[in-house]
Amino acid sequence: MQAAAGGWVDPVTQEIIEGKLLATVDEMGIVMARTSMSPVIYEVLDFACGVLSAEGELVAQMNGITLFTGTFGAQVKALIARFGTNLEDGDILLTNDPYAGGTHACDFAIVKPIFFEGALFAYAINVAHYLDVGGSVPGSLAPNATSVFQEGLRLPGVKIARRDVFSDDILHIIRENVRLPEIALGDLTAQVATVRVAARRMGEIAEKYGASTVRAAFDHLLSASERLSRAAIAALADGTYHARDVIDGDGVSDAPIAVEVTVTIAGDSIVADFTGCPKAVAGPINCARGALESAVRTIVKALVGPQAPSNEGWFRPLSVVAPSGTIFTAEKPSPTGWYYEGSVHASELVWKALAPLMPARFSAGSYSSLCVVYISGRDAQGEPFIHIEPQHGGWGASETRDGANALIALTDGDTYNYSVEAIEARFPLIVKRYGLNVEGGTGAGRRRGGFGIIREYEIHGDGAEAYCSFGRTVTQPWGMAGGLAGTLNGLQVRCGVSGNTRTFGREPHIALGNGDVLRIVTGGGGGWGAPIERERHLIEQDLTDGLLSEAAARDTYGYQKELQQ
Amino acid sequence: MIRLATDVGGTFTDLVGYDELTGEVFTAKSLTTVDDQSRGVLQAIADAEQSDGLRRRDVTFFAHGGTTVINAITERKGVKTALVTTSGFRDVLEIGRGNRPDLYNLQFHSPEPFVPRHLRFEVRERIDAKGNVLTQLELDDLKPIIKTCLEEGVEAVAILFLHSYANPEHEALCADILADALPCATICASHEVSRQWREYERSNTVVLNAYVQPIIQYYFERLEEALTETDLTCPYYAMQSNGGIATFDQVVKSPLTLVESGPAGGVAGAARIGALLSETEVLSLDVGGTTAKCSLIKNSRPTLDSEYRLERSRINPGYAVQVPVVDIVEIGAGGGSIARIDQRGALSVGPESAGSMPGPACYGKGGSRPTISDALLTIGVFDPTTFANGTMPLDVEKARAAIEMLAVPLGMSIEDAALSVIEIAHANMINALKLVTVQRGHDPRDAAFVISGGAGPALAARLGRDLKVKSTVVPLHPGIFSAWGMLAAEPRADFRSTWFSPLTGDALTLAGDRFVVLEQDAADYFGKGHEAEIRFSYSIEARYRGQEHGVFTRYEPGDSEEAFSERFHAAHEKAYSFRLAHSAIEITMLHLEAILSGPVIAIPKLKGEVISVEEARCGTRDVYFGGTEGWVSCPVYARGRLRPHTTLQGPLIVEESTATTLVLAGQQLALTQEGIMIIREQDHSQSGAA
Repeated sequence: MQAAAGGWVDPVTQEIIEGKLLATVDEMGIVMARTSMSPVIYEVLDFACGVLSAEGELVAQMNGITLFTGTFGAQVKALIARFGTNLEDGDILLTNDPYAGGTHACDFAIVKPIFFEGALFAYAINVAHYLDVGGSVPGSLAPNATSVFQEGLRLPGVKIARRDVFSDDILHIIRENVRLPEIALGDLTAQVATVRVAARRMGEIAEKYGASTVRAAFDHLLSASERLSRAAIAALADGTYHARDVIDGDGVSDAPIAVEVTVTIAGDSIVADFTGCPKAVAGPINCARGALESAVRTIVKALVGPQAPSNEGWFRPLSVVAPSGTIFTAEKPSPTGWYYEGSVHASELVWKALAPLMPARFSAGSYSSLCVVYISGRDAQGEPFIHIEPQHGGWGASETRDGANALIALTDGDTYNYSVEAIEARFPLIVKRYGLNVEGGTGAGRRRGGFGIIREYEIHGDGAEAYCSFGRTVTQPWGMAGGLAGTLNGLQVRCGVSGNTRTFGREPHIALGNGDVLRIVTGGGGGWGAPIERERHLIEQDLTDGLLSEAAARDTYGYQKELQQ
Repeated sequence: MIRLATDVGGTFTDLVGYDELTGEVFTAKSLTTVDDQSRGVLQAIADAEQSDGLRRRDVTFFAHGGTTVINAITERKGVKTALVTTSGFRDVLEIGRGNRPDLYNLQFHSPEPFVPRHLRFEVRERIDAKGNVLTQLELDDLKPIIKTCLEEGVEAVAILFLHSYANPEHEALCADILADALPCATICASHEVSRQWREYERSNTVVLNAYVQPIIQYYFERLEEALTETDLTCPYYAMQSNGGIATFDQVVKSPLTLVESGPAGGVAGAARIGALLSETEVLSLDVGGTTAKCSLIKNSRPTLDSEYRLERSRINPGYAVQVPVVDIVEIGAGGGSIARIDQRGALSVGPESAGSMPGPACYGKGGSRPTISDALLTIGVFDPTTFANGTMPLDVEKARAAIEMLAVPLGMSIEDAALSVIEIAHANMINALKLVTVQRGHDPRDAAFVISGGAGPALAARLGRDLKVKSTVVPLHPGIFSAWGMLAAEPRADFRSTWFSPLTGDALTLAGDRFVVLEQDAADYFGKGHEAEIRFSYSIEARYRGQEHGVFTRYEPGDSEEAFSERFHAAHEKAYSFRLAHSAIEITMLHLEAILSGPVIAIPKLKGEVISVEEARCGTRDVYFGGTEGWVSCPVYARGRLRPHTTLQGPLIVEESTATTLVLAGQQLALTQEGIMIIREQDHSQSGAA
């Protein structure tokens, strides 16, 4: 098939190039998941890969997690600004700077400028969550950090390889500044393998179709997505929509943090304005501007084209407005270790504001927080271990269907829970229970919220410890259209000796003894529609399945058993 | 001495028979009978008797493949099933892995479990990861469960206890008690179907096995009865998903092994063709009506998929099952795949298919949307009069009219639009073929490319050229190749068991001891006594300490640690591009593949009168290649008349009843003495030019 040089690509070549782009980012993902040393990556799949144009515009991204929906472009553009023309074939860049389009120091971005016939023509990126990057606590995410300097090593845009030869100095710095250097360098090797694969594939495409055709195909892809996005937004009623919510504590203080958004839809564009949100807080749930953009884009994508492959074009109709230095636009040295605990609320604000406009695409509020728990200690052989686990929870109901049970929060995506059998084979832990959190309940409604989970770990051995950061421990997931609010998250620890139970939300240090039980509880989602309108057969099904008590059926739903004739 | 195979597909039931004494071949195609597939099978046998003179009393081997299991699952037509599991874990089956691959869908739900919550029961018991009993099985807990199962009319009970792969005693005891108490129900314990770890995957495996077991048992009993009644008595085999066959009795116990029965037949056939051509690496592609399926055969053996999931898609996590399934990548590109201009203004092909009703526009059965078959007809690859032996005339005008719907908005001629449809289908297939080769560390240049299915041979030459394969192979009976593959399959069983050990000290000796136990399991499974000749292949799944996913590495009895480690490093490097020479290695699983040696299908040399190439030629047809070539006049040959060792230069077309093969300019077609067609580039420096 032919392609003209003048910025036009025939639709056949266009389709083929787009197919190859997706195959390339998928291949990067396969290589990464299979080669990583770190369970955060191989099990939880806390990473993403993408390909960008020479201008730093995202053209293809693997289907991984939503956290990185909008960060790639900002990161690569920050690197372009830093290096300018000082880039050559064989360079590989590394950045983990939250204030330059990144997220938190644990997320290492590896970026490879791709050259064809001597000219830069694309970038490949791989961002992955490292198990530990130094800092004040194992895992680098102190829930009570008050400065980025407590959150580990920062390498804000360095060349980790020149002419495809690694910089021994930088590897040495990493090795000496992280707690599990073997895993960190293993992951780095895996990341580099993925961007090299992408460079090979992009080279093959350019070889076959010519670099100018490929560039034209990028432009066409972005403008086609932009067109679809604008059409979807134009179909919504123009207007200004508000939403408010409360973030439950920042890790340093339990004080409630009120946040808000104003979303304006005008014609085919959309503005999300976070003016009015408080200044950056002391604790690490702040996010920087890159993560805020990403959080808003996640919801815009859900609105305009949830299943279509993501690229920069979808987001051209969007502007995000927020003054600098707020909880959602933190600046150095504000801590951002648990940024997703803050940024998810930026997503949810936009979600909550738009839900009434487009019930076919939205649901009521969910358990929101990833409720990440770190358990560390030494195993029976005396080897140190860290078990990091995001928790699944209840999602809100939609207009037509009950909410989903036990799904991963909005910020993640194709993220698996851990196999109980795999955990017990690896760590000195016994799982006593993993099931739906029926006793905690869920937001009632004509359609009810989905159920969260309860997961109980019994600690075997002495000297273990845990830390965690759970959101929505006070403020419930919101209901819609008369549906009731959902239920709360929390971590409970029962002492093996005294039997006393303590409850935690965002907690920097919990000492654990042999026989202690750590009970992770996630909440149920919000309901949609008034509970009294719930159909009889659905109430009866929940009774049969043990998801609803007779008392709750009567009190919440007004359900009466039929009288015996 | 007739070997006979039937393959029940979504639309057609294919039959292939072969008399090893006389060399006679019998074929038939009948419509699949959806409600009871065995009727279609009997019909196909009757058809072959009528048309080809099949003698059913001479049948000495009968292999059967089909979609009964996968249909029962996808149509949710299994029996009422309960699950008994470890206390605290009744919801594991429903929670699954909790992932949201459809990441921007704020209304996403995990797939529904096959057992509702009120039929998922807990009992107190606990075993740890090493197999130690922490809590004895509380037998009293079973009493209310039995009562409820009886009241609810439960027809099958699955049992999953944590870590039963390490110690199955609680599951076995529970299964005995339930079998006594519920004599009418199927009882299935997880360790009987999988000895692998991961509780959700194993639960789902045992649940689905229990869910379909009574249906499959009934189906095979009836089929056997019907075959016996009609005097077709011989050993009956079913095609399994692992590329081997098993007796009806064996598959009835673990029916889930039939889940990808049909596609596995094609892979078995490709393996047999590879063996015949002395090619150890084979890349197979079967292009059907709706999908194209590709798979890689390595070292003469089909590759197995260790993470097979039913109903998985980009946006659906699907249902994990731990049964050995050949690794098949399937994409929505077949002869009936519909081409359209999508909302982006781009031309896309599939996954939507016109199927067989109404079928492509050119079938003239009411279809009007353009398909790959319409494109192939438009550019002259298919002949409207000789398609399917002339039994199904194709309508060129309808095909052109359908393609015109694309040509107008694309601003192209009808021929160029048709070529574009093929171009995109071709690109989709290349991506899938690269997924099973390059992306898994294998080089297609080492492979023979065996292509089958109704539309496959028409696309073969171009795909082979772009992939730069060693050779492109069009096997015998390409249009009913899955059935043919079933004739070629051998009895096979796979035994996998999770076992953790660092690769130090006597680990390999202990692994060897465990393999001896698995060998005994295999001998018991085949039940042929000590005389049986069973070929074993051993592999060990291992990983670098700290990794999760392992790599299967060949193991030879008596391996030294050095020898095995080196093989593991090499396998890891091949799969993932690097090795960590100084990292400790851990064993996670043992896998024994057992094949019962027996007579395999002999492929006869072509016989018949000596005729010249010119006599094999049946005409000339113009084919549109686009670009500067435009329409090119191509000679057309009848496959049945081509003699062994013939070589011909492309461009040319070869026709047979179930397929049309296109050979490009610059390529050479050669026939083996068995009549298998091999396409190679004439000048290797040109290969890959596309």
